[in-house]
Amino acid sequence: MIKIGSVGVAVSTRKKQTMFLKVQLHWNVIIAAENLQPEGLMLHRAIIVRLLSDFAVKKATKDLGYFLAVTTLEKIGEGKVRQHTGDVLFPVVFNVITFKFFKGEILEGVVHKVLKHGVFMRCGPIENVYLSNLKMPDYRYVPGENACFMNDKMSKIGKDVTVRFSVIGTKWMEAEREFQALVSLEGDYLGPISTPDI
Amino acid sequence: MYVEKEENAAELKIGDEFLKAKCLMNCEVALIPEHKVFEKSQQYVKRFSRYKNPDAVRDKILARYQLAEFELCVLGNLCLETVEEAIAMVPSIESRGRAQDDEAIEKMLNDLSLIKKFE
Repeated sequence: MIKIGSVGVAVSTRKKQTMFLKVQLHWNVIIAAENLQPEGLMLHRAIIVRLLSDFAVKKATKDLGYFLAVTTLEKIGEGKVRQHTGDVLFPVVFNVITFKFFKGEILEGVVHKVLKHGVFMRCGPIENVYLSNLKMPDYRYVPGENACFMNDKMSKIGKDVTVRFSVIGTKWMEAEREFQALVSLEGDYLGPISTPDI
Repeated sequence: MYVEKEENAAELKIGDEFLKAKCLMNCEVALIPEHKVFEKSQQYVKRFSRYKNPDAVRDKILARYQLAEFELCVLGNLCLETVEEAIAMVPSIESRGRAQDDEAIEKMLNDLSLIKKFE
């Protein structure tokens, strides 16, 4: 089991490292006293709405990566009344899909910013995937309005180009609740690719 | 004789399953699309989805070639063309003692391209 702060625990079903994970989470959902209806379905609804809201705000955790979507709600436990406020705390068990980068993983991303010393790519929810010019051997910076990196074979890494890369490191930014990744083209079959017609 | 119950929302004949279900209004469900992380991921997977029928990939490839889930995901995501490329991207398919020789890997890549071709 993996602890997630004070929110609860998560049980990951992944056997091996991969980008999209199916995870079961145990969270506590707090329902304000004014939302407590005697009718069961209304309470159920309030719990689900609050869970989705908390889920969106949470965004990501260091252990599990980015929270993408709730797939199923497995169980709502017995509510516990909080003494001073009258709010009720419900333990819930639900399944989610999360997204996380792993060192050594090979992925594809799309360039969205070209700088003199490297490029930034997007890969899923991660905006800051940085490929340094030091990690793309044989490529040199070509300045201009549509700046790009190019090698002797005229292979080009520029804006909106799809690039296959290897992840060499990730960093969790607690304040922004997001990850940054450092990637490389050092290795066979890495670099810009022509995306097949899908 | 089994007679199928006719559904009629006006009379709240929506089936026992839905009567017990939790209903959400559009404005409540709107909590999900506003969720930026999901939107970005959705755009990404739409752009990089290689197969329209993932079940076919799982059924035909996973057990037949004794792949780990992770290996299947990489092979399914990257659209690899040659044995050398497959081994470079997923070195474990060669080194896990499953006697995955070049011929077997090539056959697996052919199976994957056939699935894609006949979708």
